[in-house]
Amino acid sequence: MSCHFEEDLTAYVDGELPAARRVEVEAHLGGCTGCRATEALVRHTVARVAELPDFVPSVNTRRAVLAKLDALPVPWWERLRMLLRPAVLVPSAGLAVAVGLALVVVGPGPEAPDELEDPAMMELAANLELVEDYELLGLDSPEDLEVVASLHELEVAQ
Amino acid sequence: MLKVAAGDRRAFAWLFDRYHASVARFAFRFVGDRERAEELTQDIFVKLYRNAKAYQPTARFKTFLFRVATNHCLNEVRRGEYRVAHTSTEAPDGEETGGVEMAGPDGDRPDQALAGRELERAVGDALRSMSDRERAAFTMCRFEGMAYRDIAEALEASESAVKSLIHRATLAVARRIEELQAGTVPARSRA
Repeated sequence: MSCHFEEDLTAYVDGELPAARRVEVEAHLGGCTGCRATEALVRHTVARVAELPDFVPSVNTRRAVLAKLDALPVPWWERLRMLLRPAVLVPSAGLAVAVGLALVVVGPGPEAPDELEDPAMMELAANLELVEDYELLGLDSPEDLEVVASLHELEVAQ
Repeated sequence: MLKVAAGDRRAFAWLFDRYHASVARFAFRFVGDRERAEELTQDIFVKLYRNAKAYQPTARFKTFLFRVATNHCLNEVRRGEYRVAHTSTEAPDGEETGGVEMAGPDGDRPDQALAGRELERAVGDALRSMSDRERAAFTMCRFEGMAYRDIAEALEASESAVKSLIHRATLAVARRIEELQAGTVPARSRA
């Protein structure tokens, strides 16, 4: 039968027992030949195992691991982080500002006059040249306007 | 490791250079096959890189690494039937179990080299015959010199449990070595 100290003998050899338990085991070993034999066996085994040669991994392992890392899919937060780098962010922000300014300067923008949305005003703008002709001639009665509008037809009739 | 979590490849390369031999040694003793150990080592470090954010600075890095390594090796062995068969089947006569390079004084004399190979085979047989957790605990203790407390953390077990695992595993190895030496060095034990 096993002695109830036997379970602690390997930990004793490994120096892993608490001090109080270690003292108890040492006292027990003095009077138990079975435990002394097991302790000797454990010490011998530990010494033999220490004689085994080291396993030396292949020098290609490092390269293989780094290649596997390169092949990993890039997670979304990593892609976002790459986009937020100053080298990418600053030119992108500058371009966005330039486009925005161009739209403000060239386009109608929110400050455009309301009149331009009125169809009558748009018609006036389209025929602005004709209106200027009327004003130049100093015509303001409806009959005179009709004569001017039909001037081309009158010339053909003559 | 915090730098690795931030995507620093140079920090990862430094960790790899420092610890990959330990992981490879552990994997080799765990599966008993050189090529498989190399693959496992690669997988463990890739897993470490991908899960670097899970590392808590309160844990010792080596303990964290061996928890990753142990879980990976245990899962791999449990997952594949051929791997279970591999680890429970003795190598044919004349075939090296993993082709460990014999270095140092053992390689200088043929009789010593032979003794070294026989010892390697005996220990390999013992490792194959024990449970996965006994093998993991024994390997971390005897080949990595890890303290019981750290092994307990890596195995997510109590120190008391680790003490029992290592004791049983050590006696299993002792029996194989006794058998090896039976003709020359009679040993007496209750183990």
